[in-house]
Amino acid sequence: MSDTLGTDPATGRQSQGTPRVGGAAVAALPTSARAAARRRGRAKMRLEIALLSGPAIIMFLAFVIFPIALAAYYGFYRWHGYGPPTDWVGLNNYKLILTDPAFHEVLWHTGLVLVLSLVIQGPLAVVLALLLNQKIRGRSVIRVLIFAPYIISEVIVGTGWGLMLQSSGAVNDLLHHLGLGFLQAEWLSNSKLAIWTLMAIITWKYIGFAVILMLAGLQSIPDELFEAAQIDGASYWQIQRRITLPLLAPTIRIWAFLSIIGSLQLFDLVYIIWGPYVASTAGTSTMAIYMVAQGRNAGNYGYGSAIAVVMFLISLVVALIYQRFVLRRDLQGAVTEGANR
Amino acid sequence: MTRKARSATAVAIGLGIALAATGCAGGNDSGSGGGSADGKVTLTVWENAQPGAGDVYWKNAAKAYHALHPNVTVKIQMIQNEDLDGKLQTALNANTAPDIFLQRGGGKMRAEVDAGQLQELNLTDTDKANAGAAAIGGYSIDGKVYAMPLDTQPEGIYYSKDLFKQAGISAPPTTMEELKADVAKLKKINVAPIAVGAKDAWPAAHWYYNFALRECSRNTLDTAAKELKFNDPCWTKAGDDLAAFLKVEPFQKGFLTSTSQQGAGSSAGLLANHKAGMELMGNWDPGVIKSLTKDQKPLPDLGWFPFPAVTGGQGDPSAIMAGLDGYSLSKKAPKQALEFLQWLVTKDQQEAYSKAFITLPVNKQAQEVVTDSYNVSTLQAFNKAPYSMMFLDTLYGQNVGNAMNTAVVNLLAGKGTAADIVKATNAAAAKG
Repeated sequence: MSDTLGTDPATGRQSQGTPRVGGAAVAALPTSARAAARRRGRAKMRLEIALLSGPAIIMFLAFVIFPIALAAYYGFYRWHGYGPPTDWVGLNNYKLILTDPAFHEVLWHTGLVLVLSLVIQGPLAVVLALLLNQKIRGRSVIRVLIFAPYIISEVIVGTGWGLMLQSSGAVNDLLHHLGLGFLQAEWLSNSKLAIWTLMAIITWKYIGFAVILMLAGLQSIPDELFEAAQIDGASYWQIQRRITLPLLAPTIRIWAFLSIIGSLQLFDLVYIIWGPYVASTAGTSTMAIYMVAQGRNAGNYGYGSAIAVVMFLISLVVALIYQRFVLRRDLQGAVTEGANR
Repeated sequence: MTRKARSATAVAIGLGIALAATGCAGGNDSGSGGGSADGKVTLTVWENAQPGAGDVYWKNAAKAYHALHPNVTVKIQMIQNEDLDGKLQTALNANTAPDIFLQRGGGKMRAEVDAGQLQELNLTDTDKANAGAAAIGGYSIDGKVYAMPLDTQPEGIYYSKDLFKQAGISAPPTTMEELKADVAKLKKINVAPIAVGAKDAWPAAHWYYNFALRECSRNTLDTAAKELKFNDPCWTKAGDDLAAFLKVEPFQKGFLTSTSQQGAGSSAGLLANHKAGMELMGNWDPGVIKSLTKDQKPLPDLGWFPFPAVTGGQGDPSAIMAGLDGYSLSKKAPKQALEFLQWLVTKDQQEAYSKAFITLPVNKQAQEVVTDSYNVSTLQAFNKAPYSMMFLDTLYGQNVGNAMNTAVVNLLAGKGTAADIVKATNAAAAKG
């Protein structure tokens, strides 16, 4: 907003809404003409705002708000997706979702993935970032290697791991040939093991992203602080504990936010490796898998839309709570600016 | 500045018009052709053949029909099988559906009929004789026909004759007890007795369907299609049968995450490479197996036998489960579209179709072209069957069908019981 306001060099006042050029001329005009010019200027600014933000707003309304509204509308119908919906069922779909044991299961799985991602990836990423921030040989090679899984598409990762982890796949075969046959397992179809297999793949895939974020965070910490601490006689661990971690905290909080959102929306890896039918049996189904299985695959577009709304609300609430209580300091001056004024 | 802006606007408007024009053209392209003043008609067809013989059949049929009827041009559009349903649904709702399209039947067809998107087909006596009453019955709702059947896909167990010989099995099993004994014999020669692609859910569920076909009477199966209530004890009995069969561990290791048709590790791939003895599947299976053998040639020792009898069941022991392939007309299709369908079920076309898809044509006169031993066995069983039932997930619609399939997978994984299948199926009926 403030970028569009110019400070009038001639008067030294902020000439709200008046373009910079001609500011001096405006100052020389009689009051009524000045007001008219200001009105014109204001209209011009409005036009400018409309022109610049219009396309984005239209896109946002058309592809974000409108589909959400439509999903909310369809969610009130029993509808198979052929012709317009006619069978109004009120809140029945929502009642069925909230009482469906399968939905409770996916909530549990999603929650587990969310928490485990934070607990496993967070500390691991910080440690790896600290390590890679040292001047060690082959540092850039290791960085690339850690980051590589992140840039491989989910479908390829899913297909690859899905094939390797089959009961007669490469992983079990390798274990056998290494003489570790006792470690062979049904990595994908054992319902006690499958969620941990999933966590291992998720960690392998997304740790690179976390490490890159942390590294960037580490590099933005001024060297002077470390030097000063060293001069004061702080040990390596004291420096990490008292300087690095507190200054890295904003980065960690943002990463955790991205991780949480990613966990809530987890779909593609599970869909590729287990598919929509076996995921619930193997204990790896997520909210999005439930939506696709019960909505699209079952042809219940009304019910599926209701699930989408529930998912949206859950994600929204989690995101808002996180922003309000955890990211408050980081976002000051951005999201919270309007409220503070 | 202003002039530039003006010319930019002009360009934008021009582009918009161009886009709108091409957009319109696109709409007409995939939409129903309809007639024009000079009597020329273009029919669009959406089919799901794979590239190869099947696709060539459709292109040849279009050419041949155009030669017979110069004012009718048939435009064939091959659509990948898994993409077809979604595309078609969008097109039907947007009123841009093709004139003729593949019909899956069952609950989906019912939904399309309810939404007024299909034409009722007024078949002549010749058509009825060509397509056969059983197949037409599969595409009828309350006595009205909504699709023209082209082939039937009876289901049974495909097996490797060589592996059976190696295991010392002299004749294919006819009862569950015999099947269990054969499973034990196949295990002794270190092959998976039966392959199943449970990741896709439906191949596993077909075991349950066939037990239900044996346990439930025809009337029970039909009534359930209308009322979607599954309270007859035969539904639970079918699940118990499956659970009892699981006790002999008939399926390959890790079957839960095996697919049915993709790659050497899939159930069809295991059969194709002599890693498994049997697979329960519809009669598209030989084609799939052929694509998965090492040299991509048909498996020479492939045999077929019907699903074994179950003692004490209410269903006829020789009843058979079968899918159908047929074609529907969208509501705006011109009358020439029906004539094209009528022509497709005539003897010569059916023979060509059967050869291209290695399948069983609905037209009895064309069934002579079926020569492969497994297809001959299938045809014999099919012609002997007192009635045939559509696959239950098709018959009862995706919603109930999917829940049933998933519940069967749970049972196979040891996570659910026969009662859970019935419970999940009834619960799903409430959602849709």
